[in-house]
Amino acid sequence: MSGYLGRRLLTTAATLIGITLVVFGLMHLAPGDPALLLTGAVRGGRVPPPDVLEAIRAEHGLDRSLGAQYLAWAAAALRFDFGDSLAHRRPVRTVIAERIPATLLLNGLALLVALAIGIPLGVAAAARPGSLVDRGSAVVLFLLYSLPAFWVALLLIELFAVRLGVLPLMGMSSSGASVGRAGGLADRLEHLVLPVTVLAYGQIAFFARFVRSALRETLGTPFIRTARAKGAGSIRVLWIHGFRNTLVPLISLAGLVIPWLVSGSVVVEQIFQWDGIGRLFFGAVLARDYPLVLGLAVVTAVVTMAVSLCADLLYAVADPRVRVGEGR
Amino acid sequence: MRGGSLALRAGAALLAALAAVALLSPLIATDLPLAVRGATGWRFPAFANWLPALLDAPAPAESAAEGERVVSAPVPYSPRNISLAERLEPPSRRHRLGTDELGRDVLARVIHGARISLVVGFCSALFALLIGCALGGCAGYFGGWIDGAVMRLVDAIIAFPFMILLLTIVAILEPGMATIVLALALTSWTAEARLVRGEVLRVRETEYATAAKAVGAGKGRIVVRHLIPNALAPAIVTTTFGVSGAILAESAISFLGFGISSPRASWGTILSSADDYLLQAWWLTAFPGIAIFLTVIACNLLGEGLRDALDPAGSQR
Repeated sequence: MSGYLGRRLLTTAATLIGITLVVFGLMHLAPGDPALLLTGAVRGGRVPPPDVLEAIRAEHGLDRSLGAQYLAWAAAALRFDFGDSLAHRRPVRTVIAERIPATLLLNGLALLVALAIGIPLGVAAAARPGSLVDRGSAVVLFLLYSLPAFWVALLLIELFAVRLGVLPLMGMSSSGASVGRAGGLADRLEHLVLPVTVLAYGQIAFFARFVRSALRETLGTPFIRTARAKGAGSIRVLWIHGFRNTLVPLISLAGLVIPWLVSGSVVVEQIFQWDGIGRLFFGAVLARDYPLVLGLAVVTAVVTMAVSLCADLLYAVADPRVRVGEGR
Repeated sequence: MRGGSLALRAGAALLAALAAVALLSPLIATDLPLAVRGATGWRFPAFANWLPALLDAPAPAESAAEGERVVSAPVPYSPRNISLAERLEPPSRRHRLGTDELGRDVLARVIHGARISLVVGFCSALFALLIGCALGGCAGYFGGWIDGAVMRLVDAIIAFPFMILLLTIVAILEPGMATIVLALALTSWTAEARLVRGEVLRVRETEYATAAKAVGAGKGRIVVRHLIPNALAPAIVTTTFGVSGAILAESAISFLGFGISSPRASWGTILSSADDYLLQAWWLTAFPGIAIFLTVIACNLLGEGLRDALDPAGSQR
């Protein structure tokens, strides 16, 4: 077990270094002089004299070689110091920390909704293959899966916010709604409905299909027949014997889901003007704010890999076959 | 099985229809006449301009003289022609799907958008398949540090939000279709690589691979002629889903303003301007979205059908 953990940690570290190298390289290939970006000359400001530009480059270490810049950045990053954001002019760490709760709220809720609908749907479909529930849900989920998320967002905004006017158009809260805690909460929820729906509908399809196929496989095994033979009720067989075994592969998906959520967030947060990580990322790429892009890349990658590491360990704990197989 | 083959046939038929529209778009939607009967005989301006229009070159001006007989295209508008007098017109007999904020015909733009979406989708998925086969095949066959390096790269790409990597690459390179194809290929080959690697690991141990080695086939020949073709079937299924993924991604980044830009008519580009006119022009949102939806459905149906056809055991579960 400890050998397994050690090897996993090693490959995780190698992957992290790989990600930072790739992002660092990419950002430096980008056109546009960061010193000019810093002075605001790109956004219509006056171009400063060359000696000022030189001073700015020296101050931010931009005059050093790429390798030296990377090493300096990596040494600081090990202390969780990602430098100052060029666009926000504040430490990258603070800027990211401010945005995390909004994204966590949005994505956490979407994930919960997706699991709460997707799992029972998948279980119901697996329980009676070929039934109306199975076929109907397969068709609906297939259609949902093929819908472009940003288009769904536009349609929902058009219907509920523009035509019916029952839900807010965008943003995280209305400016006048901070009076009273209950009112504030209701306002928050109203603003969450549309973005959460857009983020969740594709995941519902994903989870339901995954649970269905994994559960079908489990239900075909001899121990399920044994459980039936000893007189366990069908609900008990389905949920206690069957679903518990599909929970294990479901856990292993966790590592995959995080980067998807951030990807989905980029589009959804942009459309709904939700000030979270996705929108921050988008703005940072647009403004070539590479301390911020690098910082965000590292944070996302660390979270992803931490989650997938935990998932793998849970997997090994939950399923002795994995543990024994790796121990050899 | 019956259902599977139905999905396969429906997906293939829908995709073939879309491909035909894409290929014929310079003849279906153009302001050039299909045929003109002048004093000197027949001229075929739209046909003459077919290939340049497919490559998105601007059309030459063409006007029929007085008294000439003209056969115009079914949708007699170019996707680029601006007509400010007709801006944001709802669907009518003149403009079947209405006009956009610059008075361009939406139907013409949606028809020409099919070409961009399909080219981007298929090219990037094919390049992704090539990269995946090359890297996955090498990783599986050679093992050791090559395998380790390729798999770490795959891990790194998977652990990174796809959309961000895509936007970063697109932001770095010159905007345009080639850039988008390249960026999509570079970010989406990981599934194919993993699959091919796994299959190669499996096939490497089979007797025919050993036999090939025994008769003296070189390493490269074994990988290219024996291992990869056997690993290709599941990889092609993944690639089919890759096409729909690429089409969705292209429309999303064009929508965000990073991808194909106006005056070119990508479905995502049309939707991007629709965002500003939600209240006035529902037709700008509806039709390009339906087009994306249909194309993605066609690819996904084809993918599901292929998967069931290649793995009959899986479809019966």
